[in-house]
Amino acid sequence: MQASFQRVSWIARVTFLEAVRQRFFAFLLILGAAMALSSVSFRVLDFGHGELKFIADFGFGGMFLFGSVLAVVMTAQLFFSEMDNRTALTLLAKPLGRGEFLLGKFAGAWAVLGVFVAVLAGLLGAVLWAREQELLLLAEQAGKVPPTFSAAGLAQFALLQWLRLGVVASIVLAISAVARTFLYAVVVGALAVVAGQLQWIAQDAILKPSESPAYEAVLWCTSRLLPNLQQFNIGDALVLGTTGVPADAVGAVAMAGAAYMAAYVFLGALLFKRREI
Amino acid sequence: MTAAISVRHLTKDFRVGLRGLKLRAVDDVSLEIPRGQVYGLLGPNGCGKSTTLKIVLGLVSATAGEVSILGCPSATPEARRRTGFLPEAPYFHKFLTGRELVRYCAQLSGVPSADVAAAVEDALGLAAMTDAADRPIGTYSKGMLQRIGFAQAVVHDPELVILDEPTAGVDPVGSAAIGRMIHAMRGKGKTIVLCSHLLGQVEQVCDRVAIMDRGKLVLEGRVDDVLSRRDRHVLTVESMSPAAREAAEATLAAHGAVVTSVTHPRRSLEDLFRELVTGSRDA
Amino acid sequence: MRRFAPWLCAGLALFAAGTMAEHAWRGVRPQIPEIGRKQLEPTLGQGVLLGILGGLRTVVADLTWIRSYVLWERRDRAGCEALMRAACALDPHSRYFWENTGYAVGFDLAHWEIRRRGGYAKVPAETQDRLFKAYARRGIEILEEGRGHAKVSTPLVLCAAQLAEIKLKDHRLAASYYQTAAEAPDAPWYAARICAQTLWEDGRREEAYRWLRQYWTTRMLPKEDGFPDDLQRLRMMEDVLGVRAGLRIPRQAWEN
Repeated sequence: MQASFQRVSWIARVTFLEAVRQRFFAFLLILGAAMALSSVSFRVLDFGHGELKFIADFGFGGMFLFGSVLAVVMTAQLFFSEMDNRTALTLLAKPLGRGEFLLGKFAGAWAVLGVFVAVLAGLLGAVLWAREQELLLLAEQAGKVPPTFSAAGLAQFALLQWLRLGVVASIVLAISAVARTFLYAVVVGALAVVAGQLQWIAQDAILKPSESPAYEAVLWCTSRLLPNLQQFNIGDALVLGTTGVPADAVGAVAMAGAAYMAAYVFLGALLFKRREI
Repeated sequence: MTAAISVRHLTKDFRVGLRGLKLRAVDDVSLEIPRGQVYGLLGPNGCGKSTTLKIVLGLVSATAGEVSILGCPSATPEARRRTGFLPEAPYFHKFLTGRELVRYCAQLSGVPSADVAAAVEDALGLAAMTDAADRPIGTYSKGMLQRIGFAQAVVHDPELVILDEPTAGVDPVGSAAIGRMIHAMRGKGKTIVLCSHLLGQVEQVCDRVAIMDRGKLVLEGRVDDVLSRRDRHVLTVESMSPAAREAAEATLAAHGAVVTSVTHPRRSLEDLFRELVTGSRDA
Repeated sequence: MRRFAPWLCAGLALFAAGTMAEHAWRGVRPQIPEIGRKQLEPTLGQGVLLGILGGLRTVVADLTWIRSYVLWERRDRAGCEALMRAACALDPHSRYFWENTGYAVGFDLAHWEIRRRGGYAKVPAETQDRLFKAYARRGIEILEEGRGHAKVSTPLVLCAAQLAEIKLKDHRLAASYYQTAAEAPDAPWYAARICAQTLWEDGRREEAYRWLRQYWTTRMLPKEDGFPDDLQRLRMMEDVLGVRAGLRIPRQAWEN
């Protein structure tokens, strides 16, 4: 077990090193960071949401948009670079299980996504803090209640985003395990992200009574096989504290995300075992 | 003693196209590769030799037949732990140094942590890569890539080493270096399987050969046995005058022998090249 | 059987994860703004999808609102309303979008429609009146919908009251909205005054007096200056209604 863990960690380490050296990663990180930092300049476009909400939304958007692109494209690329360059031949000829290989690739990709989310969350936190200080002064002068944000809530949101991107990466790996080409894996992975973001429509429909049992059964299956990625999207409540989120609800989302990651990596390992290299 | 590799009635079909037509890559191949020898697996491109090796290594599943490595069913971690593999035209992560790559492979191959450093140095030394070990792999020449590939294949001291086209694209000096590594491994009692279509090299280093064509095994045996022609002889004579030659031919004719040709022996171009460029190599 | 066991395990793992996710979703669902899918359908191909997917809802809602201005300038009735409704659907917590959509639909669109049909001189007065009322009702419907979503709803009620008063000429409905607005904790003072005025003009004079007296006594009098203008208004009502001296509001020390 320990030896297996060590092998996985070595694959993850090399995968991480390969990923952080990619220009694509740096490009998306810079774009996301620019989006978070420039939000203050764009606040003139805001229509009465409250400045901190507008700034936070820019940051959340960067994490969602560029994080999703990174999770789909980079994960598929890290897998297919091993296949196309045939480094996988060298590695899998060693006493390394295919499940260990896939888990290592996932762990490496997820670690990179963690760096991405942490950097963007850090920048967003800095921008929010700086603007909060300015607004505190203005509110004091005007005798109003100043807007505030929660740094702990931002940390929780970043953790949830990391989990969401982990779920996306695990789905992309499972798709890559059967896909013949990189492009196919990226296109299907992107569609899975869109479907996952819209899956809550199916889940909302289940929560309402339906007249057709067949329709309900299809929705029931869909809502279990495809993760509801919208449930990680509670940044407003966590960061701006407008409504507040019960701690157990955040924990339940995190657990569900972890369960999906484990299930998709397991499925990917099964599919990868059948693949001829 | 069990064979290093035992293949019995191995068949592999690939399905191609939307209609799933079968393409038979390996057709009922059976062979035994004895331990401690250098074994050459020859054949033209597409004859099924690489597919056979991939099945042996568990990278591709067999349609039918059985394969075992050193007595263990192939594709098991135990079998792979005792096997080293250098793929054709190997490619490694360019950002790693040679030493990092070999250490990475040693760890994946299950070398105990305490022994990794020594194993890495041994493998680098065997592949004559110690001097370049701290350079990123992206800066290596083709020959160096093959040698670092050889080092990663042997770092865990496997009993069986499988080399797929180890000299493809490598200059003769580099090929000779790889030949020396193969000899060194044989000297340690290892079994080496060499998959190549460079017949001259196989002839020089292999003890036994098998030739495959269109997925079938068409010849298998000791190199000396399969190459020698028992009905013909070669005498190599130094300082022979025309008179001596006439006398020799007359004597041979008197015994019923027929001299078909008398020529001067030639050294190979490869020998001449190696003789001229040795010492200026960067391989 | 052994061959299928791993696949069965994978399926079970996915179903277990799905069940956990459904449970988690019930917990966080109230924190995620509802998306009005029907309102978004006409604009889905215009970048709005990005907002639905999550993360950028506020920003996309703002950009959608800005684009609606372009169509407002062009007097594109259908396009402008679709984009405004899309902005509301993307960010339903925003009072600004609901209020301005209500105003635009309730007050402006009828004018555009009349112009499209040839202008005020050409369109019969009855048709104009019908159009004003139809769009005002639509505006009120939007504002009512917004009240269910927006965090601050008093301005929406006031907007609905204005539509009912000015366009529908329905003083009873307008008074009801003004009353609701006036009773809200964040109500502007003018809401109470207009409420009383509307009731008065609707012929419900005694009701107007009772309501404004109650409001003035409980919410205005305790304030620093006691709202003398409103007391003066109440005195005028007492005079007109002929309220007996003993039943009138007691004279205040600061009263002229």
